[in-house]
Order: sequence, then structure tokens, then C-alpha cells
Amino acid sequence: MTAEPKVAKSPAMIEARGVEKWYPNGFHALRGVDLTVQRGEVVVIMGPSGSGKSTFIRTFNALEDFQKGSITVDGIALNDDLRQIDAIRREVGMVFQQFNLFPHLSVLDNLTLAPVLVRKRSKGDVLNQAMALLERVGIAEQAHKFPGQLSGGQQQRVAIARSLCMEPRILLFDEPTSSLDPEMVREVLEVMQGLAADGMTMVVVTHEVGFARQVADRVVLMADGQVVEEAMPEQFFDHPQHERSRQFLSQIL
Amino acid sequence: MPRVVRSSLRKELFANPIDGLVSVLLISGVGAAGYGLIHWALTQAQWVVIQANSTLFAVGRYPIEQQWRLWLLVALVAAATGLSWGALRGLPQRDRPITAVWPRNDRIAAIVLVALCGWAPAALGLAWPIQARWWALTALLLVLRWLAGRYASRLRKVATLGLPLLWPLLYLVGMVLIGGGLGLVTVGANEWGGLLLTLIEASFAILLSAPLGVVLALGRRSSLPLLRWGSIAYIEFIRGAPLITLLFLGQNILGFLLPGGLAPDRIWRAAWILTFFSAAYLAEAVRAGLAAVPRGQLEAARSLGLNLPQALSRVVLPQALRIALPATVGQFISLLQDTTLLSLIGLLDLLGTARSVMANPLYLGKSAEVYLTLAVLFWCCCAALGLGSRALERRLNPPTLGP
Repeated sequence: MTAEPKVAKSPAMIEARGVEKWYPNGFHALRGVDLTVQRGEVVVIMGPSGSGKSTFIRTFNALEDFQKGSITVDGIALNDDLRQIDAIRREVGMVFQQFNLFPHLSVLDNLTLAPVLVRKRSKGDVLNQAMALLERVGIAEQAHKFPGQLSGGQQQRVAIARSLCMEPRILLFDEPTSSLDPEMVREVLEVMQGLAADGMTMVVVTHEVGFARQVADRVVLMADGQVVEEAMPEQFFDHPQHERSRQFLSQIL
Repeated sequence: MPRVVRSSLRKELFANPIDGLVSVLLISGVGAAGYGLIHWALTQAQWVVIQANSTLFAVGRYPIEQQWRLWLLVALVAAATGLSWGALRGLPQRDRPITAVWPRNDRIAAIVLVALCGWAPAALGLAWPIQARWWALTALLLVLRWLAGRYASRLRKVATLGLPLLWPLLYLVGMVLIGGGLGLVTVGANEWGGLLLTLIEASFAILLSAPLGVVLALGRRSSLPLLRWGSIAYIEFIRGAPLITLLFLGQNILGFLLPGGLAPDRIWRAAWILTFFSAAYLAEAVRAGLAAVPRGQLEAARSLGLNLPQALSRVVLPQALRIALPATVGQFISLLQDTTLLSLIGLLDLLGTARSVMANPLYLGKSAEVYLTLAVLFWCCCAALGLGSRALERRLNPPTLGP
């Protein structure tokens, strides 16, 4: 496609340097955060609530703005240029804590809406892909139902399939299992595990230690708008280096 | 009395002494008033005032030799009504499956319609050919209702796309038929009157204030300060002024503001004022709908790459307008009733025509008959709007888990 912006040589999928954000009420949410995510890497961000982890990943697709620092996604610099933002949003999928499925559209229409509108693909073409994706997340038989008719776990799996249908280069997960009943957490995590195994680049904000241990390439602990510790999962969970990390782990384990 | 009826009566009306007392008082009160009204309507009222002026009430002083155009329009409206009714029935209602082509409510409505069209023209003492026309129109409506209801599920795409287009298109055709042009003799707006004028004014304002209200509601939530403050100023100014003052203002000021010839004549000035007035209230209804759509909906749409117009038109507005539908139709109903204020600025709408009839010495003291007729006519129009909106609402609500 000729309209696509040129992809720079940078090997990193996401490069955030010294990101600082103040909310309009003066709250200093991000205080110089650095993070590099390589292609195919799975990075789990943990931290107490209010630590800025959700705010941070929401800056990657410009759902939140920031005042200082720089973020580059797949070689495209995030700045105020709307065309750049739209280009980045096409390549970055996001899965929300509250699923945010479109309740007035059927499951299938939830999946096909963006590819048809944004990528200008033919409906029939997208339909086939959408059915294949629903098959993959295990809810093909619900394709013609509406989101309100599904359980939370099913809705979140539809939300993941909806993001995948745009064929993103990276998927962001903002506490994807936090509003699910315990028995539904596993079915969502299994889907995410499968994606990671297929080499999808993922940044996941979650409190699921088991998932982080098994799937993450790296765990990042954020507190008070800063990165406190960044380490391999075994290292992080078994031998945390910082007092703040130990304190956090003692609370969730 | 069967035992079931007796026990349910006891439970609902006479469960304890106080309930019983309230029931007896209410039943005797309503009964007395109803008896009085019916007794008056059948024995004392002199309906000749309605019979003699039925054409005047319907279309005002519309030239007789051109009235075939109005008949054609009524036929088109009847056809469109039948098609819409049937198509709405045929579309799946989300909370229950379609059972029959003629569900019970529809059978009742059809019987009421047939009874009305058999009785009203005869009661008005219309000539036989005219009575026959009304029968034909009713038959047309019901036949199209049947056809559309039968085949709507097969023509679902056509129905969902076509119906919203059908009515604005019909409005344009109707305006040509009423006003002339395209080879038809011109009938000036000052010759329109009665129910015809009331419906023209109300439908004009309904059709145009709906999009204007949506734009204003979006403007009020916009991040562009000029747009936001402009919308707020407009909405608050209009909502702060009584409609009647705006109508007088419109009649006087539009004439001064616009150079001669450009200012629309009185009837269209009034229609525009009604539109602007209604749009401000609609904007507030739509704003409430927009506020009820969770923020995450817009975020999800934007993060999928939809631009703002796409996200609004495909994700946010469909949900917001659905939530705003009852309030919107409520606004349309009060708009229809507000058209009676036009009689105060000298237009011969339904109320204006009625007042001119009552001023005729021949019909002195017949105002009760006239006002009752007006009330019934307005009630019919508003009831139709309300019924249609509830049917639409039930079909638009997305289904959820459970019963």
C-alpha cells in the first residue's frame, strides 16, 4: 500500500524516552518514563493503582497526550500531526478493561466495522477473516449474537478478535482480566498466551502473576509515574532488586 | 361474573376498605364525567358546525379545483404509512420473535381504523363519492401494511435503508403537490389552512430540527471553543425565551433584517422559527443521549483507527440517538401542539381556522363542539407519533442477556 508511512529502520516496536505527563488538574502522572519494546516481545507492566501504568500505555496510541519526551511506534513519531496519529492507531490494537464492544452491533459487525471503514477492504473478504478469528478465540458460534448476550470472558475474547481483525503490529492490553469473574480469567489469558506464542508484540498491564511468569519476556514495575524495576520474570518475582518491588509483590502474592 | 374476573377485581380494586373507597370514588367520578360528556355529545351538541366546515378545518381556503392534489398526497401518505407499519412489524423485535403478520395489537388498530373510516365521513355528512375515497384510502393502507409485513423479513436491507429516506422524499413530493411548480398551478401559502397548514408547519420543523439539534448537541460537546460557546449561547437563548415571543419576533424582525423579497413569507417565517426553537430542545435531548454513551466507546472506536466523524456516526451517535429517542419524540409531540400558537400571529392553522369559524354569527355558542373536535384531532396525531416511537424503540434496543 503506497499510502502507508515509511517504516524506519529502527528495530524497536515502541521507543518511549523521558515521557512526562501532567493532567489538567496539575497531577504529575508520568515522571520521565523510558521503555523499549522489541518486535515480538511480550512486556508486562505491573504496579499499584495510580502508578501511571494505564496512562502510560494509553499514550502509545494517543488516547492520552503527554507534555515532554518522545514516543516512537513502529518508526512513526507520535506528535500532534493527526495523520500520524491515525496511522499509528491503525497499527496499534488495544484491549480495554471494560471490553468496550459496540453494543448496537452484532459480534461479527464489531469485528468488520474498522477493517471495512478504515482499511477500505471488501466486506466479504473481512467476513472470512473475522470468522476465522472468532474460531481462533473460540466463539465462532456466537458470531451473530450481540455483545450484551455474551458473558464477560466471551466479550473480552471478542474484543481481542476485534483488535486482531485490523491486523495490528502490536497489541496493548489495559488490565484485560480485571473486571472478569475469576472463572473467566483463564479463557482470556489462554487466548493471550496463544497470541504471544505466535509472535505478536504485546504490552500488557495486568496483575496476573502466573501469566507474567509464563508468557512475559520482561516485567516492568511502575510506581508513582516512574519505572522502578525492569527485569526478566524469574528475576523479578524471585529476586526483586528494589524495596518498592518487594513491597508491591508482598501485597499481591 | 366468572370467578377469575371477580377475584382479580377484588384483588386490584377492593383489597381493603381504603382501596375500596378510592375505587368507588374514582369509578363514580370518571363514570359521571364520561356519562355527561357522551350525553351532551349525543343529545345537546350541534355537530352541524363541524359538518358544514369540515373542508375548511381540513385544508382551509385551498382552491377546490386543485384539491385533487391533496387527495393524491393523502393517498401517498397512506401508502407510506402502510409500508412503514408493515416493515416495522416485519423487522425482528429484539425482545420477542415475530409471531404473526397480524399480531393482536395490529388487528385492534386495523379494526379501529376501518371503523373510523366507516363512521367519520358518514357522520360528517360527506357526499358518497368522497366517502368512497376514504374507504379506498383505508383499503390501500391496510393492503400495503399486509404486503410489507409479509415480505419485510425478506426485504430487510431495503426496509432499513429505504424507510428513513421515504419520508423526507415524500415531504418534498408533498410540498410540490401542495404548493405547485413543476407544471402544477401555484397555490400560494396564504391559501393553505386548517389541519393541512398545521401538519405542514409541524413536519417541516420536525424534519429540519432533527439534524440541526444533533449538530448543536455535538457542537456543545466540541473541543473547539468557538463552536462550543456558540452552541451554548444559541441553546440557552432559545430555551430562555417563550415561543410566542420568538414567533412575533420572527414575523417582525426577519422582515427588517433581510432585504425585500428575500424574507420568506409569514408561513415560512413561522416554520423556521418553530424549527430553530425545537432544535434547541432537541439538542439538549441528544446531549443527554451523548452523555449516556460510555467514554470507552469513543476510545475503542478511535483506537481501531476510525477518525472522529466515523467514530461519531457509526459508534457514538447510533447509541446516543437511541437513548434520546423517547425525549425526542416527546419534543416532536409538544412541537405539534405548539403550532396552535400560530393562530395568535394571525395564521389560519387548525386553531386559527376554528377561531374564524367560531367568530361566524351562524355558529355562535358552538365552541365546545369545535374545541372537542380539535382536541380529538390533536390527540390522534400525537398518539400516532407516540405509538410509532415505542414500536421503533423496541426494535432498536440491542438485546441483552436474560429475559
